[in-house]
Amino acid sequence: MRTTGPVYEDFVGELIFYAVVEYLRKYCTISNGKMMSEVILQVENLVKKYGSFRAVGGISFSVPRGKVVGLLGPNGAGKTTTIQILLGVTLKNGGMIKYFGKDFYRHRQYCLQRINFTSAFNTLQGRITVWENLVVFAGLYGVEKSKKKIMELAKYLEIINLLPELYQNLSAGQKTRVNLVKSLLNDPELLLMDEPTASLDPDITDKTLSLIEDLKKSRSLAILYTSHDMEEVTRICDEVIFLDRGKIVAHDTPLNLTKSISEAQLRLTFDDNKSAIDQYLKSCEYRYTFLSDHVVLIDVEATLIPKLLLGISKTDVDITDIDIRKPTLEDVFLQIARGGNDVIS
Amino acid sequence: MSFRRIRSVLLQELFITYRSMEIIFDVFILSLISLFLFGFLSLYLVGTQNAIAGKILLLGMLLWDVIRIIQYSISIGSLWNLWARNLCNMFIAPLHMGEYLLAHTLSGIAKAILVFTLDSVLAILVFHFNIYQVGTVNLVLFFLNLSIFAFVTGIVIVGLILCYGMRIQAFAWGLIPMLQPLTAALFPVKVLPTPLQGVAYLFPCTYIFEAARYSLSSGNRDWHAISVAFFLNLLYLLLSTLFFKMMFRRARNTGQFVRNES
Repeated sequence: MRTTGPVYEDFVGELIFYAVVEYLRKYCTISNGKMMSEVILQVENLVKKYGSFRAVGGISFSVPRGKVVGLLGPNGAGKTTTIQILLGVTLKNGGMIKYFGKDFYRHRQYCLQRINFTSAFNTLQGRITVWENLVVFAGLYGVEKSKKKIMELAKYLEIINLLPELYQNLSAGQKTRVNLVKSLLNDPELLLMDEPTASLDPDITDKTLSLIEDLKKSRSLAILYTSHDMEEVTRICDEVIFLDRGKIVAHDTPLNLTKSISEAQLRLTFDDNKSAIDQYLKSCEYRYTFLSDHVVLIDVEATLIPKLLLGISKTDVDITDIDIRKPTLEDVFLQIARGGNDVIS
Repeated sequence: MSFRRIRSVLLQELFITYRSMEIIFDVFILSLISLFLFGFLSLYLVGTQNAIAGKILLLGMLLWDVIRIIQYSISIGSLWNLWARNLCNMFIAPLHMGEYLLAHTLSGIAKAILVFTLDSVLAILVFHFNIYQVGTVNLVLFFLNLSIFAFVTGIVIVGLILCYGMRIQAFAWGLIPMLQPLTAALFPVKVLPTPLQGVAYLFPCTYIFEAARYSLSSGNRDWHAISVAFFLNLLYLLLSTLFFKMMFRRARNTGQFVRNES
């Protein structure tokens, strides 16, 4: 009987060990000694050409579980084409797309069953009701207990009262929420979102973004997100990929990308003595613009701001207000869009 | 093939049909108008030396509607989703194009059976023309062949629209009426000028209309015409499937598939 204890403990220990291994196998991959989140989508060297024009020029990236990756860039950068290829509605010319480790083109239905898409530009069938549209899509995705599922999601996204309405009669904000319900019907593990908040008013945009944040947390959902709105990208994205002319020109966290622009803008309001401040700034070779006789805007490296303020304080100028504008993702975007598109990281 | 997905597309088709006056008019009302037009024309012809011509007109009209309705259901069914910018959404779901087309074909066949039954009963009651006198087996064979031909024309039109865009959407309702005189639906092939008779015999449905007229006048079955129609249909089915696949692939390759909805 004395041997029973250790044998029993070994057995339990082994069970726990295998449970942990199974969990890690399912939800994590271990690479180069570092534990990484499971990669839901992997894109390697993706190429799309229209004749001689390269819309997508060999891009590679991945989207891990539970992360929101933003795909940004000016018009014509290749964002929407990339999303279309990832959904299979446009064909690639080269490269590889893998969802859940499986080749998308060989396992199209398996992959599409586990992902979904929503966009401000794709709409549902306008002639039929919201409920009818959702019933159709629930069937296409093979959703079990579809009516219960639709009601749950409709309640969650506050569209219960819209269910009997014709889809074509809804406002842009209502359509966005209905499209979101459609995109969640199959409990996707990855959601591709192409400018989902385009044409929405700020209040509905905020609600939609809160929903996305909530979904990310509650469902450990991976999201690939395109938008032109840098504030919302900064708010919800864990990683940002900047595309320009079909190529990735920057890929990092929003914070690191903004750090890559060292210059900040300092706005000083002063009582009088414009000439003294003008003389000082000229002598230090700062770039500056007087917005009025009492306000000056100075471009300065963020690290030099204390030195600049100290220098001005030694002149005969009374500063009444200081406003520092740090670089934002929008500045990174503008830098890329205006041609400063060397790979940032 | 998933029965569930086919059922979902059929369900969508049902929802759109009962909410769209255009479909109700094009499929049901237009058929009734044609029936009464040709019915009264046949009544007029009964009083002339060529009484059989009236029956041939009604026979051709009832059978032609089978092609028209099934082809309409396939082509316009896809256009409804394109107009609504919903077709991409459908194919972002794990829906196979084969399932989508099959669902629209089944929907077309159901509508065609409904309209044919209604019109044929009305033809008996109002115009004393009984299409069932050609024989039930014959009717089934005619219906099968005409359905295949409608499917062939339907997928060719959808393929062209997907590939070349909405600027050619008029093909969806304009191409089939162009084939009506060429396939000698309402009159014997010998009425056509000799060069056009050769063209007419390229279409499987021409043989079916000839076989139907033969059955109506003699009460017998023209196995030869039905067999030729069937084998031509199989050939065209194969060719049109390949053509559709090519067009669908090309549409996705050029980006036209997505641009159709922009």
